[in-house]
Amino acid sequence: MLKWLLTISEKLIKHSQRNIAGCLVEPMERADAKPISLEELNKLREVAERARKNVIRMLFYDQSIHVGSSLSSIEILTTLVFKYQRMAESHLDRDWLILSKGHAAPALYAVLAEKGVIKESELWKIQSIDGVLQGHPETFIPGVDMSTGSLGQGLSFGLGVAKGIKMSGRNGRVFVIMGDGEQDEGQVWESFTQKVARELDNILVFIELNGFQLDGDVESIKPKAFLQAVWRDAGWNTLSCDGHDFASIVAAIEEAQKARAPTVIFASTLRGKGFKPIENSKYQRSSPDDARKFLINA
Amino acid sequence: MREAMGKELARLGELHQDLLVLTADVGDSTRASYFREKYPERYFNVGIAEQHLVDFAAGLAAAGKKPVVVNFAMFLMRAWEQMRNTVARMNLDVKFFATHSGYSDSGDGSSHQSLEDIALTRVLPNFAVVVPADPIELVKALPEILAHRGPVYMRTGRDYSPPITAGLEYEFKLGKAQVLREGDDVSIVGAGVVLWDALLAAEELRKMGVGATVINVSTVKPMDEALIEYYARKTGRIVTVEEHSVIGGIGSAVSEVIVKRYPVPMRFVGASTFGRSAKSQRELLDYYGINSSSIVKAAMEVVG
Repeated sequence: MLKWLLTISEKLIKHSQRNIAGCLVEPMERADAKPISLEELNKLREVAERARKNVIRMLFYDQSIHVGSSLSSIEILTTLVFKYQRMAESHLDRDWLILSKGHAAPALYAVLAEKGVIKESELWKIQSIDGVLQGHPETFIPGVDMSTGSLGQGLSFGLGVAKGIKMSGRNGRVFVIMGDGEQDEGQVWESFTQKVARELDNILVFIELNGFQLDGDVESIKPKAFLQAVWRDAGWNTLSCDGHDFASIVAAIEEAQKARAPTVIFASTLRGKGFKPIENSKYQRSSPDDARKFLINA
Repeated sequence: MREAMGKELARLGELHQDLLVLTADVGDSTRASYFREKYPERYFNVGIAEQHLVDFAAGLAAAGKKPVVVNFAMFLMRAWEQMRNTVARMNLDVKFFATHSGYSDSGDGSSHQSLEDIALTRVLPNFAVVVPADPIELVKALPEILAHRGPVYMRTGRDYSPPITAGLEYEFKLGKAQVLREGDDVSIVGAGVVLWDALLAAEELRKMGVGATVINVSTVKPMDEALIEYYARKTGRIVTVEEHSVIGGIGSAVSEVIVKRYPVPMRFVGASTFGRSAKSQRELLDYYGINSSSIVKAAMEVVG
């Protein structure tokens, strides 16, 4: 157990020194690397690996899905859905999951399929006329809390839900996942600067820093080194984590929960994580042949 | 119009405990401020941030609240995509009370005037679009609009409000049009303050021996198709009038019904380009030919 804790701490320290996408990632408290057992960690890993494979497998059925962005989100989604998201009869007492970067829908679907919310057979009908799963999330799909797809809208909506829950004196929380390219949208500024946000302790935002947007690398289009400082100065509790390392993600969420303040976690991730033909590049897709090779070797 | 809207909203706040009023820093201009004075905890000024305004309201609606977004019609158009992609797509119970529409913000000029908003909102699935004729109808309409589940766009002006429905006894129902005056030779169909000109035109036409029916389609969407068809059959000719672009607005909506159910000759009175600054809304309506003499002329063209 001690050895395991040490490993996690080392990882966190190592991570804290990395300079990702031009952002100096802030160091994280060692003491926070606590509440996950090895057993649970392994379970999350297994879920994520299956979901990752299933996203890549979806390439056989539709070659236009955003694989790169999806693979960037797998571990964060897995952690939220399998460890933190609480379900309740009332929509005001459960936790909402908003994929503001809606193009990562395949990752959401794959994780929800692992959870049993979506039938696995539906995954193979993604974007088909006779399937349920749309190219971007729609609320008629089980497990989807907001119809997204056009960037920059998830946080405004999430803040509305979180405030509505608070006004009703209920316990639900709201998780919002955004991308770094998405931060280009003016509406993001409109939303996180709103005074109401500062009074909420039931909203948790992830911003994935994978360094790429549709046409290229984030730094050459709109450098974002200022992001964390700006969110912090706007009144947000800002944390960071390695978005592919469960211990790091969990540590950050635990820290967020202690803070009792609106929190944003800057998660360093890789576009196309684990799928070599497109990993850490602007490319979203690869051939079914590449997918086949990956699945055989995996 | 804004006075009536602000006061009625503040009054209805008492009946609907879940009613919230949201604006983007135009609380005073729109008279949403009357609600703020009574219910500060249910009032949100999100700052000059219309896109956020709409999606924040959408989130509140998803959490079971009844948000009313109050803003200038023109500035809401800036958040049309949010109205489409979040509110309409999720069919959320968000109400939009758009003030300063048409030429009613006369002094500020074309940047603040709104001649496209009916076209932009009626095209959205799940949306209803309401254009009250005057403050009396607005007060009748508000409880109906709030009782309706789903997005509603209500378009009003600023101050100019001739008494169009004064003395008329009717119940306001979403999707129901009202006949303001009966005549056999032509139907004049419109909504909003321009119905005043429609009534003046009908009186002029009477003097010329032409009987005109005047129809108030305060619910532009869903349109009262049965009533429109009935009067198309009865009068055989239609003139539409609106303080809005003739492309995509009320005239277009009426013609869509007519072409489908009973085609008759039509003429369209409305705007064809941007407005400009002037001292009053009335001055602009006359300047751009959205008035009784244009309606009479159009009616005489179809009556032949």
